[in-house]
Amino acid sequence: MMDQSQLKEIEARCIQEEQPFCTAACPIHVDVRAFMAALAKGDIRGARRLLDRAMPFPDIVGRVCDQPCYSFCKRGEIGDPLSTGRLERYCVVNSQTVLKLPRFPAKKGRVVIVGGGLSGMTAALDLARKGRNTTLMTGKACIGGTLLDFDEKLLPKKALLQAETILADYGVILQTATALPTQFIVSLASDYDAVYVDLDEIEPGRLPTAAGRPDPHTLALGPEGCFAGGGAFPDTAAFSVIKQVEDGRRAALSIERYLDKVSLTAQREMEGVRTTRMHTVTSGIAPVAEIVPADPDAGYSDDEARREAGRCIHCECLECVKQCVYLREFKEYPKTLLRKIYNNQAIVQGTRSANKMINSCSLCTQCTMICPHDFPVADICRTSRQEMVRDKHMPPSAHEFALEDMQFSLSDFCTLSRHQPGSSTSRYLFYPGCQLAGSAPETVKNTYAFLRQQLPDGVGLLLSCCGIPAHWAGQDGLFAKTMANFKIEHEKLGKPTVITACSSCLALFKEFAGEIETISLWEVLDGLQLPTDRAAARKPEQPLTIHDPCTARHQQVMRSCVRNICTRLGLDIVEHDYNGELTDCCGYGGLMQVANPPLGKKAARVKAERSEHAGLAYCAMCRDNLAASGSPVAHLLDYIFPGQKDGDPLLRNNPGFSGRHENRARLKEEMLAELWGEAAGPGPDHARIQLIISREVAELLDSRHILDDDIRKVIFHAKQTGKHLINPHNNHHLASYKPVRVTYWVEYEPAAQGNVIHNAYSHRMQLPEELS
Amino acid sequence: MSNFSFIEDTSWQCAGCRQPLQPTKVNVSYLNSVFNVELMTCPQCGMVLVPETLAMGKMLEVEQLLEDK
Repeated sequence: MMDQSQLKEIEARCIQEEQPFCTAACPIHVDVRAFMAALAKGDIRGARRLLDRAMPFPDIVGRVCDQPCYSFCKRGEIGDPLSTGRLERYCVVNSQTVLKLPRFPAKKGRVVIVGGGLSGMTAALDLARKGRNTTLMTGKACIGGTLLDFDEKLLPKKALLQAETILADYGVILQTATALPTQFIVSLASDYDAVYVDLDEIEPGRLPTAAGRPDPHTLALGPEGCFAGGGAFPDTAAFSVIKQVEDGRRAALSIERYLDKVSLTAQREMEGVRTTRMHTVTSGIAPVAEIVPADPDAGYSDDEARREAGRCIHCECLECVKQCVYLREFKEYPKTLLRKIYNNQAIVQGTRSANKMINSCSLCTQCTMICPHDFPVADICRTSRQEMVRDKHMPPSAHEFALEDMQFSLSDFCTLSRHQPGSSTSRYLFYPGCQLAGSAPETVKNTYAFLRQQLPDGVGLLLSCCGIPAHWAGQDGLFAKTMANFKIEHEKLGKPTVITACSSCLALFKEFAGEIETISLWEVLDGLQLPTDRAAARKPEQPLTIHDPCTARHQQVMRSCVRNICTRLGLDIVEHDYNGELTDCCGYGGLMQVANPPLGKKAARVKAERSEHAGLAYCAMCRDNLAASGSPVAHLLDYIFPGQKDGDPLLRNNPGFSGRHENRARLKEEMLAELWGEAAGPGPDHARIQLIISREVAELLDSRHILDDDIRKVIFHAKQTGKHLINPHNNHHLASYKPVRVTYWVEYEPAAQGNVIHNAYSHRMQLPEELS
Repeated sequence: MSNFSFIEDTSWQCAGCRQPLQPTKVNVSYLNSVFNVELMTCPQCGMVLVPETLAMGKMLEVEQLLEDK
C-alpha cells in the first residue's frame, strides 16, 4: 500500500482542484468562477457574499478593482474575456454587505499603521480582525489616500466614510489629520511593537535612509518590526487599486508572523498572484461577444449582468471525466477516486464501500492518455485489486464468473496445441485467443486454413487463454501460472513466432513474455495476398466506422495494418475522434462487465455511439459487446473469411457468455477431428442433458451469469439423486446444485425433446445440506 | 438477516418424499457469518426451498454486504 507521501505525489497530478486562471491571477484570490455562477442566475446576494469573504471594503474595491484577472480569462482565447470589473461594480452597487467576517479574540501586540491609503486601510482591517490592537494615523482629514482623487461618480466619498466606520467597528483607533514628520515616524517604531508605512501617503523619500527598500515578499524594512508597502509601482509610477489591497494584506500577514515570532518567509508561495496548473480546453466552445452596458455610466442592468456573467465557461479540467463512462458513473475525478481507494485500503473493521468502484474500472488507460499529467487511474485500480486479493478482501462475486470461464478455456475441454497437420515443426503458431474462438469459431478455422496455405514451414495451432482475466482481477498467482504454462507450451512447439488475433493477448505477451517473438494477425495478413473469393460476404453498402480496441492503444503498427487491409478489401471506412490512442473500452476490459454489468453495457453503448455509422471491430469482445448494445457491427475477419452460411456480418448475434463457452469446447472438438483425425476425450456426463431455452430465458440467464452448462449440471444432479421439488399443478421441476461456490436453481419441465427451461437463479449463501 | 422468516405458501413439494414443505428453522451461512432463518423445507429429507425472490433479493443484499466487510 502506498504511503502518505506517494499518495500526495500522485494526487497532485490531478489538477481539477487547481485554481481557475482568474482566481490565480487575482492577488486576493476572489472566487471569480463562483461569483459568475451566482450572477448568471441572478443571485446578487450570493455573489456579494463571495466578495465580502475575499475583499477588504467590497464597497470600495468592488467599484474600482483594476481586474488583473481580465487578461488571464480563458474566454480570451476564443473572443472577449469576461468583464469582471464591471460585474463586481454591478454587484456592490446593487447589494449591501451580506457577510461580516468575525473579529477574533484580542491578542498581544500593538501595531501602528502610518498613512491612510487603501493598503494601510487593508492592513489595519486585517490586523484588527485578527484581534491585534491597531492604530491608523493619517495626515489627511479622511482615509483613502489616492482614492480621494477618484471621481465621485466612480467612487462616492460616502464609501470612504463607511470604511472609517467599519474600521472603528473592528476596534481600529483612527487618528486623522495627524502631523507625520519623519522623526515622528522613526519614534513610532519604539513606541509600538510593529509599524506599517503606507507609501501611498508617505513618500518613500520620507523614510529614514537606513530603512532601505521593502522586501518584495514580506514588505519588511531594514529595522526590526518595520514594514512598508502600497503606493505607485516604483518603476512605472502607475497606481493599481488591487496592488494596495495586496500589499496591505501581505503586510498584515507579515506583522502577524512577526508578533508571533515565527518565520516571515516560510511557505508564503500561496499569497498574491499565483501560477495555476489548471488545464481547460476551449476548443468547441462558441465565442460570445462581451455584453457592453447600454448606458456605460449606469453600468450593467440586471439582464446585462446576467448575460455577461453567463459567458463564464467555469474553467475546470475534467477532460478525462468527459470521456470516461466509469468516472462519470462514480462521480469522481482521479484525485477524489484515489483518495477513496486509499481510504478503502486503510479500513480495518467496517464496510469497504469502494470495492465495487475499484473493480469497475476497465483499466483501459484512456484517462491517462488524456490527462496532461498522466494520472495513472488504471495502475491504481489494478494494484488495489492485487492488494485486495492478497489481503483476502476481494469480494468473491466480483471476478469469479470470469475466472471460472478462463479456467474452462484453459481446461482440456478447450485447449489444443498441435503442429500443423502432417508437420512436426512450426515456424509459426496461430493463437486465436479465447474470445475469437468463443465468438466466431468458423472464422478461426478459416483463418487457420489460410495461414497454413500462405505461410511456409508449418503453422501450429494453440487454442488457449492468455490469462488476462486473472491479470485484470489482481490474481497474480493464477496469472503467473498461466503465463508460465504458455511459455512451456511454446517451447514444446519449438519456439515458433506467435501470431495473435487478439490485441489483448499481444499486449500481454509483449509485456510478460518479451523473449517470445509475437506478431499481430493483422500485420501478417497485411503482408499476404488476401483471398479473392470473398464475394460471398455481403459487402456493406454504407461506410463503416472503425473501432480500435482499448488494448490496441499503444499498438500503432497493428492499427495501421488494419486500415491497410480495409483499403485492400475495398471497405469504405470512416474514422471518429475517439479512436487510436484515445479509444474507449467496450466494457470487457478490466472485467468491468463482469464486476458491474450495467456499467459494462453503458460503456459498450458509449463506444458504439461515437459514430452514427455501422461499426467495424477487429477485437472479438468489442464486436460482441457493441452488437449486444444493439449496434450493427461486424468483425473485420467476417469480410476476409466469410463463412458459407453466414448472413450479413453486421447483424451477427452476440453469442453471449454461454454461446462463447460452448463454442470454445466445440471448436477444439471439431478442429481436432477435422485436421488431425483425432477424437476429443469424452465430455462430462452432464453434457448429454438436452435443453430447450427460449430467447427471453437465454437473455435472463446471460444477465445472471448462468451458463447452459451450469443448468445441465443442476438437472443432471437432480436426475442422479432424485432430489428436486415438483409443482403438481404444472409438473414443473425445481432443482438446485452447487458445482463450486455458487448454488444454481433451475425451474424446468422435462419433455420428450429435452428439458424446457423456465427460469434459473443463483445465490452464494450456503444451505444446511451444503454445510455438512 | 438472522431471525428472519421467509415462509410462504408454496405449491412446491418434495419430489422424492412426496411431502408438502413445512416452515423450518435452518442455518444458512456465508463468509464466516451464520444466520438462523425460517425457510420452507421437506419435513422428511430436509430439502430446502430458496425461492427466486429470496435468492435475488435479501440473500444477494446480505451476500454483498458481507463481501465488503
